[in-house]
Amino acid sequence: MIQFDNVNKVYEGDVKAINNVDLTVPDGEMVILIGPSGCGKTTLLRMVNQLETISSGSILLNGEDVTTLDKIEMRRKIGYVIQSNGLFPNMTIEQNMMIVPQLLGWDRAKKRDRFNYLMDLIGLNPDEFKKRFPHELSGGQQQRIGVARALAADPPVMLMDEPFGALDPIIRARLQEEFLQIQREVKKTILFVSHDIDEAVKMGDKIVLLRDGEVMQYDTPAEILNHPKNEFVNEFVGSDRVLKSMSLYTVKDLYKAFTLKPNFESKDIRTINEDTSLRVAISMILNQEADQLVIEDNEGNNHGSLTMDLLEQFLHKEIKGQEG
Amino acid sequence: MDTFNKRTALVVKILLWTAIAAFFIWGFSQGMFRQIYEQPGLFLELLGEHVLIIFASGFAAVLIAVPLGIFVTRPAFRRTEWFIVTVANLGQTIPSLAVLALAMGVLGIGVEAAILALFVYSLLPILQNTIAGLDSVDENTKDAARGMGLTNLQILWKVELPNAVVSIIAGIRTALVINIGTAALAYLVGAGGLGVWIFTGIRLFDNSYLISGAVPVTLLAIAVDLLFRYLERVLTPKGLILAREANEA
Amino acid sequence: MNELIEYFVKNYPFLWGYMLDHLEIVGLATITAILIGVPIGIYLTTNKYLAGTILQLASVFMTIPSIALFGVMIPVLSVINQGVGFLPAFLALVLYSQLPIIRNTYTGIQNVDPQLRDAANGLGMTTLQRLWKVEIPNAMPLIMAGVRTATVLNIGIGAIAAFIGAGGLGVVIYQGIVRANTTMVLAGAISVAVVAILADFILKLIQKKLTPKGAN
Ligand SMILES: Nc1ncnc2c1ncn2[C@@H]1O[C@H](COP(=O)(O)OP(=O)(O)O)[C@@H](O)[C@H]1O
Ligand SMILES: [Mg+2]
Repeated sequence: MIQFDNVNKVYEGDVKAINNVDLTVPDGEMVILIGPSGCGKTTLLRMVNQLETISSGSILLNGEDVTTLDKIEMRRKIGYVIQSNGLFPNMTIEQNMMIVPQLLGWDRAKKRDRFNYLMDLIGLNPDEFKKRFPHELSGGQQQRIGVARALAADPPVMLMDEPFGALDPIIRARLQEEFLQIQREVKKTILFVSHDIDEAVKMGDKIVLLRDGEVMQYDTPAEILNHPKNEFVNEFVGSDRVLKSMSLYTVKDLYKAFTLKPNFESKDIRTINEDTSLRVAISMILNQEADQLVIEDNEGNNHGSLTMDLLEQFLHKEIKGQEG
Repeated sequence: MDTFNKRTALVVKILLWTAIAAFFIWGFSQGMFRQIYEQPGLFLELLGEHVLIIFASGFAAVLIAVPLGIFVTRPAFRRTEWFIVTVANLGQTIPSLAVLALAMGVLGIGVEAAILALFVYSLLPILQNTIAGLDSVDENTKDAARGMGLTNLQILWKVELPNAVVSIIAGIRTALVINIGTAALAYLVGAGGLGVWIFTGIRLFDNSYLISGAVPVTLLAIAVDLLFRYLERVLTPKGLILAREANEA
Repeated sequence: MNELIEYFVKNYPFLWGYMLDHLEIVGLATITAILIGVPIGIYLTTNKYLAGTILQLASVFMTIPSIALFGVMIPVLSVINQGVGFLPAFLALVLYSQLPIIRNTYTGIQNVDPQLRDAANGLGMTTLQRLWKVEIPNAMPLIMAGVRTATVLNIGIGAIAAFIGAGGLGVVIYQGIVRANTTMVLAGAISVAVVAILADFILKLIQKKLTPKGAN
């Protein structure tokens, strides 16, 4: 758990970067820090592993004030990933990834097992990449190694500063998916900086929206999208926030909210799986692939048909209905 | 066009080697190298003096310049860096003969003055290259290292120095090659070396002394240059060669 | 220290004369070197095979100690009775200048943004127009940097050329050594150092002036 308690940061020259931040990152959750450039995301992140000093207030890591901990020891227990991967060009992939375990004095067998496990996790062949150097890898592969390196000594906490920010959209989306998959398996406590609201909505258990070093709203993605607390949040999440929020619901959420009759009318109506997001469902309908879609669960059972009307009703019920 | 270019290059190469071969044949036929084989003892003595001056000063310069370069690039002393770099740049515009003469002004005639001059003169390129090499490590990479819990010493040892080694060796090479030439002037401050024969040749208008002194000094400089270029190549970590290629592409 | 100042005051005209000699030989050699080196550098951009050979040769030349190069040139030039004096010194300076000038011209022109070259071709410039209006102006800062390196180098080597009778400030140092007159040695050494530093400074200013605005 990471707790920020009335944290402030003033840089030299009286630059106020962080203003009275109170915030808790619960165990096993991924919290996304988001906000416009220069709002203090990186600063807040770097105060946790003490790459920046804390001007006032305190940051507790599992209940202990970080300033009372040994910096070096503490950092080795926190995974750190940055945008420009920060891989050491003079070391092989294996040396890069096993740097912290090596500093911690792990034995050879343990390091090898860990390397193989992590490479599996990020979907790269351990034997093929072991002896290669960072510059022999693509940007996406380098960033995967950066993430795996942060996971190497199995730290309970991870700090990630726009880890996928430098990648092109397709690779970025793929790495986001992969990382979500990994997080489901490893359940780390993660503070993750992003400047992309779509990424935040997709990845975060919760989202912190910062502006000029102050927390504007700290909520689940659905709350942020559906109920922006003020005009700034509303503007930041964008006028298509309702559409964005649809990606947070699946077809299953929809058919659970209504009682629908199974549809057996026509055999050539297209089906849609219950795990599909509503945003995809909308585009399917709008693209006129069909004016109705038969909902199918993972066992192949028919749960009735999905129409534009139904989606609209759901929107009113779930999202707009709660407003005001 | 391409074959024409290749052929031109080949012709130029052949002409060059022919000229070099012609020079040596001419030199030998005129007995211009005769001092070397007529007084081999003296030749070896002068060569020994020459090498001693170069390596004593070069070695001392490495011992001082590399740690100094490390020192000024530490965050706490960063503010001294521009000053050191400026002095190193400026110092290298001062001709070596002037430095040698100034050292003689301090220590008088003798080997010590030559070693002092060459030492001071070698400091500059080694220092300059050490600083450039250490500075070439990406800030983000160092930041990542710090964030992962490497101590400053570990960052220096595992990341910065491996990245700077090539540049440091290039600095040592530059220093040694310049020193070999300056050591040939050491005769002027009474420090011996192969310069003795070169200056004897100039004074007596005796070409055999000139060639017997100048050609070995030239070969020594070229050999040291090639040796250190080879060292640079084999000591560069493979990952860094790839990194450089990636940056150039 | 006082002695030194006194020496400078007393021998000012004498030092001035040697300095002018010094600048004359260095200046002549550097201009000749530019006239030879820049066209070679430009030509080499059209022949990469020859470029490798020539740049290597020039870099080997740079490693040859100047006094040794004089030592080799005297016997060779004495075949045409020019063993000592102006000619060997002049030739040596021209040769030493070639590496920085050729290399910088070559790199400068190679580094011109290919899009600029494309644009020039697209505007219908001939090869010569393109070279003159696009490539050389853009390579100018680097070419000037090469000229600066060569000049500073030549001022130092020019001092050594005094030993083979080419005159210049080296004469002051040489005579000081011969007469065991430390003050004279220092006066000569300081003069050469000051000339080198000043030349470096002035050429740096020119280099800045010649950098087209907007080019980096
Ligand atoms: N080392 C520093 N010294 C002074 N000001 C800084 C420093 N680092 C960041 N800042 C300032 O603090 C503010 C927050 O910066 P940062 O945390 O990097 O923002 P973000 O990561 O959200 O883009 C900015 O106004 C920035 O200019
Ligand atoms: Mg940032």
